[in-house]
Amino acid sequence: MSTEFVRHFPIFAIMLYFLGAFLIVMLGKVRALRHGIAFVATAGPLALLIALVKPIMIDGGIIAYWMGNRVPAGGYAIGIALEVDALGLFFGLLIATAVFVSCLYSFRYMERDDNVPQYYTLFLMLAGGVMGLVLSGDLFNMFIMVEILTFAAVALTAFRNRANGALEAAFKYLVVGCMGSTCILAGTILLYAQARTLNFAQLSALIPGNLGTSTKLAFALLFIGFSTKAFIVPFHPLAADAHGAAPASISVLISGVLTKSGIYGLIRLTYFLFQTMELGTMQFWLVFLGSVSMFVCVTMALAQHDFKRLLAFHSISQIGYVLTAVGLATGLGVSAGLYHAMNHTLFKGLLFLAAGAVLHETGTTDLNRLGGLAKKMPHTTALFLIGAASISGIPPFNGFASKWMIYQAAYQKAAETGNIGFALVTIIALVTSTLTLASFVKVSQSVFFGRLPKEYEKVQEVPFGMRFAMGILALLCILTGLFPGLVTKYLTEPAARAVFSVGTYINSMMGEGTIILQNPVVNFAQAGVWSPINWLFLLIIALLAITIVAISGKYDRVREMNAEKPEGKYDLFFGGEESVYSQVGGEDLFWGFKHNWRHYFGFMHELHSGVVNDYALWAVVALALAIVYATIVL
Amino acid sequence: MFKKLIEESTGKSPWLFHINAGSCNGCDIELVSVLTPRYDAERLGFKLAGTPRHADIVVVTGPVTQQSLNRVLRAIEQVPEPRCIVTMGSCPQSGNVFRGSYAIAGPLSKYVHVDVDVAGCTPKPEAVMDGLVLATKILQEKRRAMK
Amino acid sequence: MSAILLDALRYLGYILIFPGFLFCFLTGLLLCGIDRKLVARMQKRVGPPILQPFYDFFKLCGKETIVPATVTSKTVFLLAPLVGLASLVVLQLFIPIFSFRAFGAVADVIVILYLLLIPAVSVIMGGSVTGSPYAGVGLSREMVTILACELPLVLVLLSVAKTVGNALDTGLCFSLTQIAAFQAKYGSLILRPSMIPAAIAFLLIIPGETGNHPFDAAEAETEICEGMLAEYSGAPLGVYKLNHAVKMLTMTSLFIALFFGGIGTGIEQLAAAMGLTGGAAGMVVILLDVLVMFLLCVLTTAVGISFVHAVTARLKIEQIFKYYWTVVSGLALISLVLSWYGF
Repeated sequence: MSTEFVRHFPIFAIMLYFLGAFLIVMLGKVRALRHGIAFVATAGPLALLIALVKPIMIDGGIIAYWMGNRVPAGGYAIGIALEVDALGLFFGLLIATAVFVSCLYSFRYMERDDNVPQYYTLFLMLAGGVMGLVLSGDLFNMFIMVEILTFAAVALTAFRNRANGALEAAFKYLVVGCMGSTCILAGTILLYAQARTLNFAQLSALIPGNLGTSTKLAFALLFIGFSTKAFIVPFHPLAADAHGAAPASISVLISGVLTKSGIYGLIRLTYFLFQTMELGTMQFWLVFLGSVSMFVCVTMALAQHDFKRLLAFHSISQIGYVLTAVGLATGLGVSAGLYHAMNHTLFKGLLFLAAGAVLHETGTTDLNRLGGLAKKMPHTTALFLIGAASISGIPPFNGFASKWMIYQAAYQKAAETGNIGFALVTIIALVTSTLTLASFVKVSQSVFFGRLPKEYEKVQEVPFGMRFAMGILALLCILTGLFPGLVTKYLTEPAARAVFSVGTYINSMMGEGTIILQNPVVNFAQAGVWSPINWLFLLIIALLAITIVAISGKYDRVREMNAEKPEGKYDLFFGGEESVYSQVGGEDLFWGFKHNWRHYFGFMHELHSGVVNDYALWAVVALALAIVYATIVL
Repeated sequence: MFKKLIEESTGKSPWLFHINAGSCNGCDIELVSVLTPRYDAERLGFKLAGTPRHADIVVVTGPVTQQSLNRVLRAIEQVPEPRCIVTMGSCPQSGNVFRGSYAIAGPLSKYVHVDVDVAGCTPKPEAVMDGLVLATKILQEKRRAMK
Repeated sequence: MSAILLDALRYLGYILIFPGFLFCFLTGLLLCGIDRKLVARMQKRVGPPILQPFYDFFKLCGKETIVPATVTSKTVFLLAPLVGLASLVVLQLFIPIFSFRAFGAVADVIVILYLLLIPAVSVIMGGSVTGSPYAGVGLSREMVTILACELPLVLVLLSVAKTVGNALDTGLCFSLTQIAAFQAKYGSLILRPSMIPAAIAFLLIIPGETGNHPFDAAEAETEICEGMLAEYSGAPLGVYKLNHAVKMLTMTSLFIALFFGGIGTGIEQLAAAMGLTGGAAGMVVILLDVLVMFLLCVLTTAVGISFVHAVTARLKIEQIFKYYWTVVSGLALISLVLSWYGF
């Protein structure tokens, strides 16, 4: 298993964040000190977790860490425990990466704001909360961490409280987020009352097979609790508001990290704690919720005209992909889902940072007011395009690799079970992917390309620090897209295997022989063929050849016959008119699509009233349905 | 060889851009009739282009009114070299029945070099075809003169 | 060492000459010329010479290239058509020409679905950087057309995957190589009743994907000045026209590869009957394969593109969307359901 030394790494990783938060409160007034502390506190955990890749991902070990060495006595776990298996480490790595990059970005991004020390404190609290959540081996600790991260996230959403709607968004988030947290607490209490333990491994050993009414109720409560954290339908409107109002660096965390913690919670709940994934109905519901989130949110995104709100809806849409894939309960499905979760953190982080860069320079994210920024911010544009290509699943970027695995997983599942419903999931996923592309075409047209409005003539490229942070994510997007084989072998497949190894999880925590549970054979075989590196190689050769031919044919040389250059010649063609007033807005760009779906869009428009009471009502209804489901089916 | 190929091709694929500079619409429909199955200018490679950027030959109809003058000149400027300008009908050449009107800025040749004039009110499709073929020859020569 | 060099040369030959760049260039433009001639004949016109697209292309190469002052990124403006062409050429390498496959194990049908997006996206990007309002409208329509075609195309590909998978007992099969091998062994897919609606649907998708009449709302030259191409002139425009021609070739040859793959066996038998053996037989088979493939592509173009072009008027963009998501998707869905239940 693991050496004595590495066993302490997880707790260090969590503590570094909180320690950093604490130190910044005391010493954060000095800029250099503040940045130094924040850098160490975010880079440290990342380094620690990378060091854990070898023992956990590759060697397949599990770190069970008892605080104060309070090991279970008499078969009952009493102490506080951390348990890091490949799944936890996988999410931990995602979180550490996103937090690190976001922190690098914040150095320059937040420098014009007031109260920056408080920002970093809350930022590190949020990071520590999520990290604690995914590394914890204890249900109550999970709740504590959920509370910490929810409140930090609420405070950060309202951080720019002069901005329009920040307080309102934070309030909405607070109300529904607290409903979620309360559900988790209530579920935890019910489980404790039944099983007399809070340790995750022990609960997983005790609960499946003896479900009483109150444990079923606990399942429903926990399910809804974690769903609110993942913002899946019907909790998606919160995310939109929160992302729209929060600083971009925080949006990265909310979308890349917070939603992942919700997904992590759902995986732990369904695969480990209750082991319900063998039930066809449970698979159905996860896939159904995922597909609905996927489709509803992408159509909602098409109707947006604010850059960050649009990204927010896409973020839920991508979470829908993850949930769908995880709900398939096949090796390939879970592996694909985790792969997509990772990719989502990378490309959505990149996109939010690009949106932040636009906001930083122009002061707005309204798609109808922006335009032509590619001329002024070429690097940001290039980075944005990488992110956009990734999320729209353009080969060879990473979004394609994982989406492609999801399609296969869904279709394989359909072929195995003979259920045509799963084929429908493949179709929805593919169509959603194209809708995503449409949406990002709209963004690139109306923000980066198109006409440059007069008021943004003086816009400049963002500082190097911000571009560097985006560059890291862009590079990761390309690398994870080009080498899907390596990523699946070293990251997602170990994690997916961990998802199916409940027995090992329990035994390594509670001692060998606590439970005898065979790990099922996990199948990662793929039906399709795709080798991005070969394709890219061919494309580059073809492109080079064509470019050489083109350049030798003076392709790019503007041939001149007239000595004088008339002004009108290089103006746009606009029916012979001067082309000053020829900007096309981004709001209603896909009219042809929207017109055919107008009843659907009208319905959605009515539904998303923006009133927090409605959203709270949705949460209550969802909870009621979950309870009905749990009591009847489980 | 490549240059020769391009020269050859320039003569075989002239694309038209049609500007109406206040025409009575008579010439406009007559230009379209050149493309109908009866005359079928496409057999010579003629094609109507949607934008001046794609065009080789600009066909101007109408007496060039004050309102349209700047637009016409701007659109003509936007045609990439080599290009040919063909006026169709008597209006752009002389002003025709509109001559002397305060609203007329023409003739067109006051402002740009016109390569071919096709006279008539309206010219017959055969005449238009003839003028266009002539313009194609000029186009080829212009291409030859280009470096 | 020399073997590696030889392999490298062979692959380079694949990319540059056959079935890559040069082959695409020649056959694509020829196909386009035949299409124009056919449309003209159907409308009782004489029509342009078959080589007209070549003349157009070379003429455009000789024209001045104007880069408008409003272009936000000159690199994207000039590079976009080239990227589109390169991706189409690479895509053509993956489509089996009966028994001949240049690169088998690189991409499957779902990947091809996505690779088809790249040329479209490159046109959209190129149009988008010009800042032209016509390009704005054009790209919106192009995107909606892509969306419209996507659903039926997915359904068709999934039903093909299912049919082949059923027969191979794997449940599903995405690999084009396997689909081709399957057809060589068990006969063309078109012979199965469940595949006929899918084939019709695919035939209807072809003009939509290539942006031909009546689904060319995105490039309507009479209303929005050719949309995204409005600001392009000279050689880049020529490359776009070439892209369009190559895309016609790609879509038609994909159609043949998916539904008429069984004809390849006939060709092999023919070669065997002629008493050829060894390397000569291989060459003759490839030549015949290419010839038959091209003839079938012409036939597909005549039915799927030219005929439809000659008899219809341009549809509005929302009609295109509605048409594809109801009629064509319905056809493809019938196929999917039939293949699902083993017909």
